[in-house]
Amino acid sequence: MYTKVILVKDTDLKREDKTREFYTRLLDYLREASLHEQIQVVRVADIGVYEQGLVVKVLPDKVTYINVQDEDVKKIVDAALSDGKIIEDLVFKPKAKQCRIVLRNCGKIDPESIEDYISSGGYLALKKVLGELGQQKLIDEIKISGIRGRGGAGYPTWMKWNFAREMNSAEKFVICNADEGDPGAYMDRSVLEGDPHSVIEGLIIAAFAIGASKGYFYIRAEYPLAVERIQKAIKQAYDYGLLGNNILGSPFNLDIDIRLGAGAFVCGEETALISSIEGKRGTPHPRPPYPSVKGLWGKPTVINNVETLANIPVIIAKGGKWFAQIGTQTSKGTKVFAVTGKVKNSGLVEIAMGATLREIVMDICGGTLSGKPIKAVQTGGPSGGVIPENLLDTPVDYENLQKLGSIMGSGGMIVMDEDDCMVDIPKFYLGFCVEESCGKCAPCRIGGFQMLGYLKKISEGRGIPEDLGQLRRIAQSMQKASLCGLGQTASNPVLSTLKYFEDEYNEHILNKRCPAGKCSSLITYSIIEDKCKRCGICFTNCPVKAISGGKEEGYSVIQDKCIKCGRCFDVCKFKAINKK
Amino acid sequence: MAKIIKAKINGILLRVEEGTTILEAAKRVQIKIPTLCKHPDLPPSASCGICIVKNRGSHKMLRSCCTPLDEGMDIVTHDPEIVEIRRTVIELILSNHPNDCLKCARNNQCELQELTADFGIKEESFPQFLRDLPIDTSTRAVDLDPKKCILCGRCVHVCQELQDVWALSFLERGMKTRISPAGDIQLADSPCVKCGQCSAHCPTGAFVEQDHTAQAWKGLQDPDKYCVVQIAPAVRVSIGEAFGYTGKNFTKKLYALLRRLGFHAVFDTSFAADVTIMEEASEFEERLLHGNRPLPLITSCCPSWVDFMEKFYPDMIEHFSSCKSPHEILGVLSKTYYAEKNKIDPSKIFMVSIMPCTSKKYEITRNDEMSASGFQDIDAVLCTRELVRMIKQAGIDFDSLPDEECDSILGEYAGAGVIFGSTGGVMEAALRTAHYFVTGRELKNVKFESVRGLKGVKETEIEIDGKKLRIAIAHGLGNVEYILNKVRDAKLNNKEMPYHFIEVMACPGGCVGGGGQPYMVTDELRIKRAQALYEDDDQKQVRCSHQNPYIKRIYKEFLGKPLSEKSEKLLHTNYKARPVYVK
Amino acid sequence: MNKLSPADLDKMSKAPVDKPKDWIKVGLSSCGIAAGAEDVFNFFVEEVKKRNLQIEIKKCGCTGMCYAEPLVEVSVEGLPSVIYGAVNKEVATKILEKHVISKMLVNDYIFEVSI
Repeated sequence: MYTKVILVKDTDLKREDKTREFYTRLLDYLREASLHEQIQVVRVADIGVYEQGLVVKVLPDKVTYINVQDEDVKKIVDAALSDGKIIEDLVFKPKAKQCRIVLRNCGKIDPESIEDYISSGGYLALKKVLGELGQQKLIDEIKISGIRGRGGAGYPTWMKWNFAREMNSAEKFVICNADEGDPGAYMDRSVLEGDPHSVIEGLIIAAFAIGASKGYFYIRAEYPLAVERIQKAIKQAYDYGLLGNNILGSPFNLDIDIRLGAGAFVCGEETALISSIEGKRGTPHPRPPYPSVKGLWGKPTVINNVETLANIPVIIAKGGKWFAQIGTQTSKGTKVFAVTGKVKNSGLVEIAMGATLREIVMDICGGTLSGKPIKAVQTGGPSGGVIPENLLDTPVDYENLQKLGSIMGSGGMIVMDEDDCMVDIPKFYLGFCVEESCGKCAPCRIGGFQMLGYLKKISEGRGIPEDLGQLRRIAQSMQKASLCGLGQTASNPVLSTLKYFEDEYNEHILNKRCPAGKCSSLITYSIIEDKCKRCGICFTNCPVKAISGGKEEGYSVIQDKCIKCGRCFDVCKFKAINKK
Repeated sequence: MAKIIKAKINGILLRVEEGTTILEAAKRVQIKIPTLCKHPDLPPSASCGICIVKNRGSHKMLRSCCTPLDEGMDIVTHDPEIVEIRRTVIELILSNHPNDCLKCARNNQCELQELTADFGIKEESFPQFLRDLPIDTSTRAVDLDPKKCILCGRCVHVCQELQDVWALSFLERGMKTRISPAGDIQLADSPCVKCGQCSAHCPTGAFVEQDHTAQAWKGLQDPDKYCVVQIAPAVRVSIGEAFGYTGKNFTKKLYALLRRLGFHAVFDTSFAADVTIMEEASEFEERLLHGNRPLPLITSCCPSWVDFMEKFYPDMIEHFSSCKSPHEILGVLSKTYYAEKNKIDPSKIFMVSIMPCTSKKYEITRNDEMSASGFQDIDAVLCTRELVRMIKQAGIDFDSLPDEECDSILGEYAGAGVIFGSTGGVMEAALRTAHYFVTGRELKNVKFESVRGLKGVKETEIEIDGKKLRIAIAHGLGNVEYILNKVRDAKLNNKEMPYHFIEVMACPGGCVGGGGQPYMVTDELRIKRAQALYEDDDQKQVRCSHQNPYIKRIYKEFLGKPLSEKSEKLLHTNYKARPVYVK
Repeated sequence: MNKLSPADLDKMSKAPVDKPKDWIKVGLSSCGIAAGAEDVFNFFVEEVKKRNLQIEIKKCGCTGMCYAEPLVEVSVEGLPSVIYGAVNKEVATKILEKHVISKMLVNDYIFEVSI
């Protein structure tokens, strides 16, 4: 039987992988020392540390050594076999670590088993709320915790609850907003699929806080598995008396239903979401009155995002004070980000507020997939902005991101490297908002469309310097005059790229050049004769027959026919296609 | 008592009741905040984004149409930044609008055009984008040109909430958003009842009455035609608004005017209203005293109401008065009685109705009975707004026109006939005559104050000969459901009927608030218009339809008596259930 | 089913259900399923039955390591529990034969990321 395991992984992208070499060296050493039956050596796919040379990790001690050299082998084996000895100058001290509150159960428990949830402490917070706390102390506790809405705007949760609680109304509602729609964001889906009961428990507690007897899950229909798991979980909760009448033997009653959203992005906006549940066209309405005063069917209604609700049971179980220790002055707790784009480890990351963007992207997610330098990080989805590389050391919280021209948003984070064009990126996001605008209010509906027109024009090389002024002018009117958050923030991707990457816009406008090589109208492909081996692979692969010539006379690109698809560039094995 | 809010607008300290919007509050201190979507009749839709203001200390801007003034606010309604944003928004709207004002029915009366002028916008700052969408002319009453629509949503609100018709809704989203009947069908195949309230509330030329002025001119210029015209009660008190007068009655000027336009004979729909009363009051008497048909009796002078009933309440057909609307009655009488008396070939008569209404355009071909004279009884319908255009085209100086009288024998009216133009008017006129028919005695006081006014549903009891009559009056189709559900309930459960007599007018305020009336109507204006009609009634010697000597004469010379065979043939119609959606 | 009282709840959370010693958890959220986790799950269930192995196959949600789906966590007595990524039937077979039966960790597929 092995007593220890040593995991091995070379983490340097820049060099040839040395994992196998070191693995063999270590194995040889163990055999020589006849320790190979005490220690197992394993090559791993990912060791959780990046760009730190050769890394080994000793299990079950969970000690990680970085930048390990060949001569360190003995030291490491000795330490591994010792009782608790650590090689100080090699040991890895992580800068950034995930802090899992929302995702506490995701990947750990069976989401379809309420017993699993309960055995990991589930529904004890509800018990505490119903049995000990009562409404006032519950809201006080949430106030102490300092938690703010995780849906994007960051409104203090306790204030929402308190407004609704103070309303004198026989009927009140709670709604879980699970209409996650930012491109690239899927934190809420993961929580609903991985730990549905935590959200249900949060919703029950919210209902108790304001005195609601009816709750809704508003889930987008594109999340069938989430819907199925929530459905199952609701049924289990009913079976156990955690929903329905006299919950846990108390006088508190609550029924929960599911409503499916048809996938309109704007229905994530509170007032549009309410309209949608009421069976009306999902368009935003003026606020005030705020939903907590006059919401669903005209009754006081609290709408909380999935992530917010998943935090609630933990806050109650561990106390508001405990929660308030995590995070920054203004932003408490953690935030889950869905990190995607040109990043090595795309996925969900939950960090304490105040971690820097660089820690998230570099230390936790391993930097870029290509190894090329990061150009920028986009947060907040289509309502957010692009943050350039030099500002990545900013600690993440609501205020800081806003200062940079972005927003926290629901937690989408997209990593971009030098192949991403800063005209193309806002064009994508704005295109999304233009598509998703409900069409109700003029600044958003027409403003977004016109801005998109200018971006298209610029990316196609037809831009003129005045276009930037027009973009800024429309953006200002959209920010100030749009009715809802969608319109007010839709111009953020454009404004932030204009702020940090105006040069790149000017390259497109003045020199008709796309530095990232992304805007197809501004790219030309040609064949470098010196490098061309006349293999003809470009010729056979071109989908529009825009390459002429033959094996004898050589090949050339017919520019008029070329659709800039880049197929020739990709297939050429000799790097003989020039793209500029 | 509402809480009083203290706040400042442009430095002016003011106190308003809690809940007053910034837009409203600003008006009280003589500040006009521009807006394109807010209509005084309607709750804010907050769609145009032009009424934005600042609250000092906040970087956000507020929409003044829907934000209540709050304690301690320090509102700025105009500064360079706000004005610049408003201008940009208007320019954006213009980039999605045809901007062919010269060819538009709303030229010179368009709220978008006015704002554009106010802001001194002289060029198209942003590239023009228009979707190629066809004009819907299917209703024969109101045309929808979606290209001109700025999506303010007024028509949708009016159609759904005020009128409860739900013919209009928003379709698609983003830049593709447009106004259309649900299912993207034509208006004529939709629940639309042609009331035209959409056109009366539209800020631009997206909804306009179908223009029949060309037809009218053509008739007037045809030497073979004998052109006659009638004016509805509500037109006389609204036409002046086009020339700067409000709440003024221009009956006699209109008679003169119509002759100047070339009509050979000028009649008054109020006379036909008196005929309607004779017939309807007799129907009521029959139902009340003889019980041959069920009560309540429901009025039928409003074609939109008739259309609405046929679509949504066909179970009420037996309660409907079979009497035609006054303008149809005048049409048929002009081509029979008048033609006979004056020895005119009825085929040569060209009858034009000047109406406050778009629905009357649809009514003239509603069914075969609208050609009871043997010819189409009404040849063209012009609404008030079209008449204004004709006056201007003809170069007539409205202000200094002399007074003239109308042409007998289809012109002189009793006070009862003219109050038809206001909600409750038909009921009041009918009660005056029904009282006489039932009791044989004249009323001492002909005024029924309880049926007047702008309350959406008016319910009251009136005593005739010791018998208490329960009556109900609704205006604005959204108010109908309350009344008719009570009737339905009584019918289903064999209970005593809640009412004896019901009056319904489709438009808010009745015909004075008709869909063909001058733009930017408010309740204040509706009251003024109605008041002018009641004054006309007050000044009349003859207040009751049955006392009108010309009415006595037509029954003696031509019709016999109310509900006679001839009356039934010429003056009555029938109804049928119609599908809410065709196909 | 009986409605829970507060005391029942306490009992349930304090005396956890009998956890089997050895188990394999397959991440079956959308990201996992999209990468083929359902096939992997079914494969484990069948193979364990076929080979008559004393190990429980369980479902779980997504741990967030979406780049490495399908993810399989394996806990066998005497070995540290580890997460294998990019698991297909081939890797699953190795996991059963090497990890579960021979009690040796499988090379090249472990994602040892501290969460």
